[in-house]
Amino acid sequence: MAILQEGLIIDRSSPIQMNSVTHEVKLGKPQIYRRFDRSQRIEHALFLAAFTILAITGLAQKFATSPGGEFLIRLMGGIEGTRIIHRATAVVLMAIGIYHVLSLLYRVIVRRISLSMLPVMEDLEHLFRDVFFYLGLRNSRARYGRYSYVEKAEYWALVWGTIIMAITGFMMWNPISSARFLPGEAIPAAKAAHGGEALLAASAIILWHFYHVHIRHLNLSMFTGRLTRQEMEHEHPAELEDIDAGRVDPEPAPEVIRRRKAIYIPIAVVLSFVLGFGLFGFVTFEQTAIKTVPPGESVTAYLPLTPTPGPTLLPSPTAGDSQEISWAGRYEGLFRDRCSTCHGSTTVGGLSLASYEQALAGGNSGPALVPGDPEASLLVRVQAAGNHPGQLTPDELEAVITWIEAGASEH
Amino acid sequence: MRVWPSLFLTLLFASLGLALLRLEAQAQGDGPGVGNQTCLNCHSDPALSFTLENGDVLPLFIDAQVYNSSVHGAAGYACVQCHTNLSDYPHPTFRAEDRRDLSVQLYAACQRCHPGEYELTLDSAHDRARAQGIGEAAICTDCHGAHNTRQLTDAQSGELLPDSRTWIPQTCSQCHSVIYEKYLTSVHGSALLGEGNTDVPTCIDCHGVHSIEDPRTSAFRLSSPTLCADCHSDSELMAKYGLSTDVLETYVADFHGTTVTLFEKLSPDAETNKPVCFDCHGVHDIKRTDDPEKGLQVRENLLARCQICHPDATASFPDAWLSHYVPSAEKHPIVFAVDTFYKFFIPLVLGGMGLLVVLDLSWRLRRRFVARRNGHLLYESHARSASTGATGPTPTLSNDPGEDANGDPSRGAHHRQEQSDPDE
Repeated sequence: MAILQEGLIIDRSSPIQMNSVTHEVKLGKPQIYRRFDRSQRIEHALFLAAFTILAITGLAQKFATSPGGEFLIRLMGGIEGTRIIHRATAVVLMAIGIYHVLSLLYRVIVRRISLSMLPVMEDLEHLFRDVFFYLGLRNSRARYGRYSYVEKAEYWALVWGTIIMAITGFMMWNPISSARFLPGEAIPAAKAAHGGEALLAASAIILWHFYHVHIRHLNLSMFTGRLTRQEMEHEHPAELEDIDAGRVDPEPAPEVIRRRKAIYIPIAVVLSFVLGFGLFGFVTFEQTAIKTVPPGESVTAYLPLTPTPGPTLLPSPTAGDSQEISWAGRYEGLFRDRCSTCHGSTTVGGLSLASYEQALAGGNSGPALVPGDPEASLLVRVQAAGNHPGQLTPDELEAVITWIEAGASEH
Repeated sequence: MRVWPSLFLTLLFASLGLALLRLEAQAQGDGPGVGNQTCLNCHSDPALSFTLENGDVLPLFIDAQVYNSSVHGAAGYACVQCHTNLSDYPHPTFRAEDRRDLSVQLYAACQRCHPGEYELTLDSAHDRARAQGIGEAAICTDCHGAHNTRQLTDAQSGELLPDSRTWIPQTCSQCHSVIYEKYLTSVHGSALLGEGNTDVPTCIDCHGVHSIEDPRTSAFRLSSPTLCADCHSDSELMAKYGLSTDVLETYVADFHGTTVTLFEKLSPDAETNKPVCFDCHGVHDIKRTDDPEKGLQVRENLLARCQICHPDATASFPDAWLSHYVPSAEKHPIVFAVDTFYKFFIPLVLGGMGLLVVLDLSWRLRRRFVARRNGHLLYESHARSASTGATGPTPTLSNDPGEDANGDPSRGAHHRQEQSDPDE
């Protein structure tokens, strides 16, 4: 095979027969077949790049809260950065789509090529034949033409997918305008479809495209532009047969091309303006939201109830009145404060006021507390005499007397 | 002359000994040298007061009953444990410009026993405000009081006492009275202070205690959804009120929530124009969602909220937001239909493709295995394929052993390398 030489390339539309030294060529068959021209290969490369970027940035957003999504988003400088990359790439991809439509029109209007990418019944027959063959029910595979059902499925899935992505993408990019014509719920529905379609497209590329073009047989014709005769035999036998038999699209004469171009160019110019304007509108249709969200609340944060904040909330002399009037509620504390130095920590005169029982029991001179009888309560008598160390104030003593009269409740 | 040094030493040792004894007594918990009664001998006089430098009169009266019912008084703490420099009489000279100056000087005592809480306050919006010269910004005693400090938490569990929950908003209201009034009208505030319902958040549940954050920062805004979700994802609590626990998840699944969640994780201090819970539901005046005035279940109210950020939004726009519902046939049939479609369509398409790929691959592997067993060298079969190919299209490719060559990607590449590289 190494003896193939320059000039052995054949365009599918114009087979050139070479007289060369190789025995294959002696038989009059060219060895290399042009499959994709340069513009198609560039288109593919650009589309590949755009699709990959869109898939990575898009799926990262679809699974944004998963560790993988978060990692990718971090890598791309955050969610806003990811969105900008995604949207810019979407514009590139749509521009490629517009170019594709224009170049397709050129092929159809000017070169009048046969529309070999259109799906036909034969593709279905090929599919069934292959399945039967795999199952051992047929002894040969289908013989594909220029495009097999594998390629057609991928091409049309891509066309369909791009249209879906563009429409749903527009709706998400311009939700307010979309909601004018559609129910508001169409926008989250568009998001669901965009995500579902993305998952489908990325998985299909990995499963279908990678298998058929990279794994089953590494077909580099999209980069080199050509297939060998052997590859043609295996992948496009029917097309090769047509070429060998001279059944190819004839190359139009230069003046015919000129005439057709006169029709094509105005159409292409108008169409590029219309589609280009559409693309521009896609991006600039609306300003969805304001840039800075207003504060959730505007409120006077500091408005004290008192001129200076009451720092220590100094208690008023009557503050204790709200306390329950009982031994536990009031007097245990009062007596601890005033009396416990002598009648608590120590028991001067045998008296401790540390507990209610001890107060009732009293000291050497008798009970300090006699419920219901202030006169009999030594505590009252001693305090009333005045000048006792730990003297209660008159108000306090008055309150104690009232409490004892009321039965000197413990709780 | 010899007498003086020895007298001096004796006095020194005696005073050291006394000091040690006193320290030891404190360490053993016997209480300080000066009992509260000693202080109250003077300070129980309601007329006792002190004039500050600005002329304000500071009452020096201490109501023993109030103090004794405070958390410190009840635990038996002595006056001089906070007022450590007042053990002796006459007291050392004390200077304070005004009441605020006095509080600021005296609250330093708190950190001796509560250093952890004090540390936290150093991180707070209040402390930052004070650092900026706003003297009114709260210090310990502004919230807790000085002589009437309350027991706020359960001694065993450390949980807030139910009473404390109602006390907290009232405490904050001393300075934040406008916010307090708003809070009273909210679904949370009216439940707490109107119905005594302690399930609802008080100020500190959102703003924190001691290390109270500035709620105007981006970081606070971005983390606020998880704050709300602390309660609103609690199924037990929400079941009590018939509220959905899907609110956070559905928010995060949406454009707004995804953005906010990622901002919080990746750039917590950056600003985003996407709303958080309180941007739609309100801050201190959060209403029930069926509230006729503000509730977001009312279409007009929701649209008005949308229009704050989306000024051009029209009547159907609010439906673009799924209102915290997981799409279902009843609630959001279009979204549900699309989701369901792809749930079946994706496996169907990929399954079909996968089946064809598996069939093709297994056929290729089978052939290669057969070829190996029969001792065919792949190179040979390849060459033969090339020669047969040269004779024209083969009608039955399946019988062509050359298929093996194509079945092997490395072979394909190898094959290519063998070619010369003619330019087009």
